[in-house]
Amino acid sequence: MKLIQISSITKKIALAAFGLFLLLFLPVHLGINLCILRDDGGLWYRAASHFMGTNYIVKVFEIVLMACVAFHIIIAIIITIENFFARPVRYKVRIKSKTSLGSRYMIWTGGIIACFLVLHFINFYFVKHGLIEGKYTASIEKVDAFFQENAIKMQNGELSDEKKNALIAQYQNISEVSSDKMDKERKNLINLTKQEVKKYCGEDFTEYEPDFYTMSIELFKNKTYSIIYLLVFIALGLHLSHAIKSLAQTLGLSHKTYNPFIVFVANFYAIVIPIGFAIIPLAIMF
Amino acid sequence: MKFKLNIWRQKDAKSKGYFQRYDIDNISPDCSFLEMLDILNESLVDKFEHPVCFDNDCREGICGMCGLYINGQAHGPDSGVTTCQLHMRRFTDGQTITIEPWRAKPFPIIKDLVVDRSAFDKIIQEGGYISVTTGGVVDGNSIPISKEKADKAMDAASCIGCGACVAACKNASAMLFVSAKVSQFSLLPQGKIEAKTRVQKMVSKMNELGFGGCTNTYACQAECPKSISRENIARLNREFIIAKTTSEELF
Amino acid sequence: MNILDSKIPEGQLEEKWTKYKASQKLVNPANKRKLDIIVVGTGLAGASAAASLGALGFKVKVFCISDSPRRAHSIAAQGGINAAKNYQNDGDSVGRLFYDTIKGGDYRAREANVYRLAEVSNNIIDQCVAQGVPFARDYAGMLDNRSFGGTQVSRTFYAKGQTGQQLLLGAYSALSKQIKDGNVELFERREMMDLVIVNQRARGIITRNLTNGELESWSANAVILATGGYGNVYFLSTNAMNSNGAAAVKCYHKGALFANPCYVQIHPTCIPVHGNYQSKLTLMSESLRNDGRIWVPKDREVAQKIREGVLKAKDVKEEDRDYYLERRYPAFGNLVPRDIASRAAKERCDAGFGVGKTGFAVFLDFKEAIQRLGKHKVEERYGNLFQMYEKIVDENPYETPMMIYPAVHYTMGGLWVDYELQTTIKGLFALGEANFSDHGANRLGASALMQGLADGYFVIPYTIQNYLSDQIYDDAKVSNQSIEFKEAIEGVREKIEKLMSINGSQSVDTLQRKLGNIMWEYVGMGRNKEGLQKAIVMLKDLKEEFWKDVRITDNSITMNQELEKAIRLADHIELAQIIALDALQREESCGGHFREEHTTNDGEAKRDDENYMYVAAWQYNGDNIEPIMHKENLDYQFIKVQQRNYK
Repeated sequence: MKLIQISSITKKIALAAFGLFLLLFLPVHLGINLCILRDDGGLWYRAASHFMGTNYIVKVFEIVLMACVAFHIIIAIIITIENFFARPVRYKVRIKSKTSLGSRYMIWTGGIIACFLVLHFINFYFVKHGLIEGKYTASIEKVDAFFQENAIKMQNGELSDEKKNALIAQYQNISEVSSDKMDKERKNLINLTKQEVKKYCGEDFTEYEPDFYTMSIELFKNKTYSIIYLLVFIALGLHLSHAIKSLAQTLGLSHKTYNPFIVFVANFYAIVIPIGFAIIPLAIMF
Repeated sequence: MKFKLNIWRQKDAKSKGYFQRYDIDNISPDCSFLEMLDILNESLVDKFEHPVCFDNDCREGICGMCGLYINGQAHGPDSGVTTCQLHMRRFTDGQTITIEPWRAKPFPIIKDLVVDRSAFDKIIQEGGYISVTTGGVVDGNSIPISKEKADKAMDAASCIGCGACVAACKNASAMLFVSAKVSQFSLLPQGKIEAKTRVQKMVSKMNELGFGGCTNTYACQAECPKSISRENIARLNREFIIAKTTSEELF
Repeated sequence: MNILDSKIPEGQLEEKWTKYKASQKLVNPANKRKLDIIVVGTGLAGASAAASLGALGFKVKVFCISDSPRRAHSIAAQGGINAAKNYQNDGDSVGRLFYDTIKGGDYRAREANVYRLAEVSNNIIDQCVAQGVPFARDYAGMLDNRSFGGTQVSRTFYAKGQTGQQLLLGAYSALSKQIKDGNVELFERREMMDLVIVNQRARGIITRNLTNGELESWSANAVILATGGYGNVYFLSTNAMNSNGAAAVKCYHKGALFANPCYVQIHPTCIPVHGNYQSKLTLMSESLRNDGRIWVPKDREVAQKIREGVLKAKDVKEEDRDYYLERRYPAFGNLVPRDIASRAAKERCDAGFGVGKTGFAVFLDFKEAIQRLGKHKVEERYGNLFQMYEKIVDENPYETPMMIYPAVHYTMGGLWVDYELQTTIKGLFALGEANFSDHGANRLGASALMQGLADGYFVIPYTIQNYLSDQIYDDAKVSNQSIEFKEAIEGVREKIEKLMSINGSQSVDTLQRKLGNIMWEYVGMGRNKEGLQKAIVMLKDLKEEFWKDVRITDNSITMNQELEKAIRLADHIELAQIIALDALQREESCGGHFREEHTTNDGEAKRDDENYMYVAAWQYNGDNIEPIMHKENLDYQFIKVQQRNYK
């Protein structure tokens, strides 16, 4: 059975190429995540999130990355279905040939990662795009500027009564804001719900951002989530343990001199990256 | 030694198959697996039953005719051997042995444990050769070939076309078989001339016949009775990429 | 007039083939397309012939008994292929290869054929290199050679221990190309059931489709038989299970003469029989004798203890060992030709010195070689063979000596052919091991591959044209619906029905084993008049027994392996009968044929050139009637006939 008329090798190469891009992104993501462990009340982490959320080059890459994820998954599914139908009658005794764990369960570990990705999107990505409500942060400087602007408007009598009252209420609210809604350096409002954003920053304030730091910490404090997270990264480790060697094989890179390097990179990815990710929930939980 | 055999019986290509239980006793541990089946068949003939059909020929591990999927492994539990070279001492007394035919879409069953592997011939016919005709060739020594390359080509060429790679692969992929032939010729100067068309044609035929794709699990390498290396698959991929990206038609 | 006209061209030995090629008739290219050729068999000879003829433009149909041409038993040849390239500058030449082959064949081969074989041997190497056969190379990238089978020059080309495989795959690839190009049609899983003769010319064959049991008829302008030898008549041989001489017997029944059936080669280095369930024997390369020393205990009691497993071979003291080949043939020692080494092993075992569980084995010891060369070097040379031995026997040959025993390996006899490889039936050609022509009474190592490919690539494409050139005009085109085909198909059907209806008490394998035992016992390595006469009687009885008592339980019309074996066995019994007859009439010892009555004073083979320097060709004369023997006298004009001496 063939779902699309492209050579099986071409499909594999495409799968590998998309996978390669995802591989390159992983250390970047890990780097940002590790900022969470810095004892600065989320300063670096928020700064990094801010950069990733606003930089235009990053935004372009984000589209590419999403496309890669999508294609990687679609091709993997196509390949798996086609391969399944290459043996319509299965064996009674399961194949016992010696193969690596990672290679055998590629589609399953991939599936686990894909499921996690959905959860991850719900938790973070959708929040960013306003599809789901999360926690938000806003720069006090910006809130102040917005307030000043409105205050001038009020003095000029440009505001309706309703908005005047709101502005006065906001003034009162923000002066009473508790310290846990502000970061260490008292430059940003943090840990705000949408309602609180309106309460402290005003109805029409738009320059708030998702507060990923708070959201992450909250999630990791949830034991169930952390355990799922850890399991997912074991799956990722397995996935990666096969991914890089397989990538080299698919792209035809096999050479006595370079093979040790490939093995090194493969092991680095399979062990260091998942461990790097896994440290975070462990550190937060305990 | 004593064994419980669980053998796939199927009257012909269209009939429905089933597993049949047989008990067999008095088997010497020095007996080869196929000789054990010979003994079973003789006992079946004695009982006026139909003997089990299975492919076999040279019984010394070179013709590639035999091939049974035994207890979850192509060519059984021993490594680096074909079914005919597998001996009963590799099993424990009283063990249950399940014997199945190679299973893959391009290898339809003919009868019992016999499958049709002509798909391999069709792949070779697409380009598994150097297009010389008889006569009119140059002296053998006028094409020097480095020892290293000649040895590597020989390693690839030692494929016996038994189909164990397909049988063992979870995807029923024929990549090891195809890559062995492609490698042999791509390593030799004689084969370079047709290298680009060869790899494309053979791969496309392989796909067309319904073999699965390679997912680099290397079960093929583990079960290959001639220990053909997966390096050949990497070489095939490389040849394929080069051919696709640099073939003359493109420019 | 003698019906055996060998058609050897006139002139000097060196000029015969060149002259033949220059004067033979050719087929016009436009006409080639109109001519059909059937090739039966896809080993080295069959595949190379089909590929070459297809490339010339003939319409070729090729029939293969297995599921693919690549299964043919040529694939199992390990050692190598000879050619007179003289790359090593050690004095080799076409003349020397010719001379060695004739001498090795104990002066029972045709000079002109053998010279032609030596002449085209060089082309074979070039052809195979061009096909991409990965022959071993030296560090300069040049083709490597080794010395093989006791010759004084290194002329054997090899591809690891798998030369036969690589050459066959080369021929198979050439064949595959022709199939792709539409010049050759391949029919796999087909067994030839009969030869069809129309107006005294071979015009087609009947085949049985082994997958569905259907009988099919195929017509053609010529039929080429390349179905290999008949070693499986002996039941236990190194031949593959599907190798059989049945197709040749069909041709013999239709009038083709069968030449020198008694020349059967026994190979000295096989893994011994280990039980009566054994299905076949495994050959190990003769090259093992280069470094291994063959011995048995000096004392019968010691041998007895080893057989019982009380004493281990490695514990036998040096002075208690009898290195009998070194003792009897000091000049050549362990490297004496195959027939001599085989007979010596049998002689020792028969005298009660044999080892192994059955007592039919001798030791091949590498202890001295390991001490002299180091384990590493021995491993490098014979590693794969040692590994194979260990897989089969489950003993480590680095520690305990290997056990070996001779087994039937190759048959020099076959269908009688003339210089053009045409049998006595017009339009029927026989190539490779299926014919008798080039090896005389004994074949040298690494020559079988050479002959198969020489016939297929470089001889038949020329000689068949000489026959086909006048087959375009007359009524050469026969339909496979003609009366002759219908009769033939009916005959085969009747025979199959008869076999299926016997419903006796013995399985085919049981009867086959009986045949093998008779042959090995009385028509094996050492033969004598009394034994042969006894064998002839026993074979007659066995034939009757077979037709009365064989049991085929599988009555399905689909694949039926029991029936296949039964059909072959019926023919093998007939073949066994002419082997025995031929062995009986040949009152001399030569090559693979050893008559115990005809020995020198010290027990060596004694040829009788005066009375027996001929080819014995047997003509079928009806069922259960003794066949007629025809003689083709061998006239040695160019070389001096000498006694073989390896002392």
